[in-house]
Amino acid sequence: MAVTNFEELNTSTDVTTTKTLLYESIPLTGTVVSGTYSDLNIKNYTHGQFQSVYDYPYLSSSANHIFDIALGYDEASPLSGSSAVQNAKKINMYNQMSQVLLGYTGSANTVRVFETDLTLDNSGTALNGWFINLSRLIGKDQIKKGTFSMVLATASFEGGAAGTYENPFSQSGSATTVTIQDVSASDTGGTNNTFGGDYGVLYNTTLASASNTAGVYPGPVYTPAVGLIFYQAGVLFLSSSAFTGAMGDGGLAAPTNFNYYRPGNYYQNLADTFTGSAISGACDALRQRIKNVSFNNTTEINSTIYFCRVPHNKYNHSANPTYLSSSQIRVKSVATDPPIAYITTIGLYNSQQELMAIAKLSEPLRKDPTNELTLRVRLDY
Amino acid sequence: MSIKKFGPNDVILNTMKTHPSCEFLIYDGRVYYNNQPELSGAFSPQTLNIQPGHISLYEYNIDKLSGSNNFIYPYVTKDSAGAVFSTIGVTTYTNQFSYGDTITSSYPMSASISREYITTPSSSATGEFNRHFVALKNRLNFYGIRSQHYRVTSSYGDKNVQTLNLVSIPEIFFGSRIRPGTVSLKWYFTGSLIGELQDLKRNGELIQVGPAGSTGSGSVGGVILYDEGFVLLTGSWSLNGESIPMTADSTSGNSPSWIYWAAGADDGVSQASTAGGGAGSDFVSASFGFDFKGQTNVQVLTMFAHAKRGEVNYSNNPTYLKYGQNRVNVSASNIYEENPTLDVANIVSSSYTDYSASYKRQVYISRVAIYDKSMNLIGIATLSNPILKEEDQDISFKIRLDI
Repeated sequence: MAVTNFEELNTSTDVTTTKTLLYESIPLTGTVVSGTYSDLNIKNYTHGQFQSVYDYPYLSSSANHIFDIALGYDEASPLSGSSAVQNAKKINMYNQMSQVLLGYTGSANTVRVFETDLTLDNSGTALNGWFINLSRLIGKDQIKKGTFSMVLATASFEGGAAGTYENPFSQSGSATTVTIQDVSASDTGGTNNTFGGDYGVLYNTTLASASNTAGVYPGPVYTPAVGLIFYQAGVLFLSSSAFTGAMGDGGLAAPTNFNYYRPGNYYQNLADTFTGSAISGACDALRQRIKNVSFNNTTEINSTIYFCRVPHNKYNHSANPTYLSSSQIRVKSVATDPPIAYITTIGLYNSQQELMAIAKLSEPLRKDPTNELTLRVRLDY
Repeated sequence: MSIKKFGPNDVILNTMKTHPSCEFLIYDGRVYYNNQPELSGAFSPQTLNIQPGHISLYEYNIDKLSGSNNFIYPYVTKDSAGAVFSTIGVTTYTNQFSYGDTITSSYPMSASISREYITTPSSSATGEFNRHFVALKNRLNFYGIRSQHYRVTSSYGDKNVQTLNLVSIPEIFFGSRIRPGTVSLKWYFTGSLIGELQDLKRNGELIQVGPAGSTGSGSVGGVILYDEGFVLLTGSWSLNGESIPMTADSTSGNSPSWIYWAAGADDGVSQASTAGGGAGSDFVSASFGFDFKGQTNVQVLTMFAHAKRGEVNYSNNPTYLKYGQNRVNVSASNIYEENPTLDVANIVSSSYTDYSASYKRQVYISRVAIYDKSMNLIGIATLSNPILKEEDQDISFKIRLDI
């Protein structure tokens, strides 16, 4: 249908932009990560630098990649040593993540190290830990601040048959889990910004709730910070202090049997897991201790809104072939009646009068010379 | 790094048409799509949490079950932007939610073919009408220039009063249109083909083509709307002499005909709902096949990047230079001087052992980077294997980008 009549949009008064935030609640069930699919959803690579976790056996086309786990330590960590398994890879992994996420410092451009606080002042350093890289599929544009929660088991692998990961979530009938949360972060504060975007601190809120009665993070008494979360990058750094209390957070005893070392068939403590296990083995140990993970992601939907104004004296006629019947306007029978049209569609044209987009109304709008309309067309992209 | 500008003939934008094949089987109230089996997971009886024959929009909630492996769900917060899920009506949005309230939706979103058995399309006597049929009347008359069989009222009958069989195909299955000439509808009775319709003339008429000698062979059983994704069947002749209950809660049997084709496709008809029919055969004696090809248009940007002779013969890769050389001649607080006599590694392959071939300038090209006019890197094309580029060679790389 030829367009013979159109209104020019005034870019200062008829066009505006807006942004909508769409969130998704993402629950990740620990058993999926630790054994529902007999580890058929865990992919290890020959390079041995990280392992990928899927939400279903990864050979299925239905499987979605949900996150990668890696492990590393700084060369200055006491765990670093030439006798450690994959020593160079673990150091490289730590340094690569810290370079990308934190950048460099000093006149010698030294790679920063992770610190479990918001001040990059070389205090509270965390020289070893795990990295969990959430996939873009579930992290989307960014993780919503203040919504991350992870429940971890802290007990030794005991109570089951030797060589199993059985029963890390309770010991002697008592629950042995801790909850890690970014409780201090929100959209308005509690974060810092660096190379990797905004990041917040992960606190052990199970311990904090007992001691930090004020519920303020960092608390006046007790601040068991155990890691960092980078919201836009979708990366989680979990310090080994989540299990040891070595960072001055006190209280937690390192589980004696942190990992079951399969090639040698014996239990390893936490330090030996970092040094004596390959990255994949140490990541297995962490996976077996994940009970639940939940967070909300954010998708930014940018929109342009066009206010299409229909003046009273225009668009009262239609070029639709059905508008006429026997050369008479179908919707009026008396010549003096006002013309009436029903608007069903709005076409958006560029400056070359090329049709760029079409907006459809859910139901036709009556238009006659007695009324004016402003139709709000929203284009998401 | 060598940067070259694309010439006027180096960038081509064209459209590639693809034709995805769709094959449906309808049997006992269930639809099967492209022979995909029904998979059960560790938590959910259906891995994708959708019925067979459906497409899951995001394939997001894999093997999820409320309570044990909870679902991912989307939500928005009501604010001044007024964004809301389309399933929430204006009145509900205004009256039932305050600013700051969370409005949730759910995954998975799915789509499949559905069938509607219409006994009263549009009655002028009672005013009763089927809104789906009425919505299609304009399009049917519009396509009347292709075939009179499309027209609502023609010498072939009045669709306003005929019993109609309307099958809707969501766009996600076929793309921009159904490809004319690829449509086939099959009617099986106890596994034997008793009728097949095809759009032989590619004008939308669905003509019965088989099996050979079947009742109604050569007749038009209905029409297909290629662009909109609808099949409208009107053929009511008996395809064999059997009697089957073909409608939900039917009290008597029906002769297999095209108006009953695809019974069970999301229309509430199944063996269970027709059990009281009391006909000679069970509903499960009937099954239906539906094949067609769609059409999707993919815009393809083709770029030719030329590495001409005498150009692109140097690499910034550190291994391009011989190992063990001092890169820096002098470095002090007020001077920094690179070594001007660094040797390039000779990587020319020799035919003999323990013998180095004569040096020639050559590089291995492993990737091509695309920059915009502001020199922002906007894409990288990586080769499956590095290509040897010698000084006297011209090489052109063809880079294709689907957009």
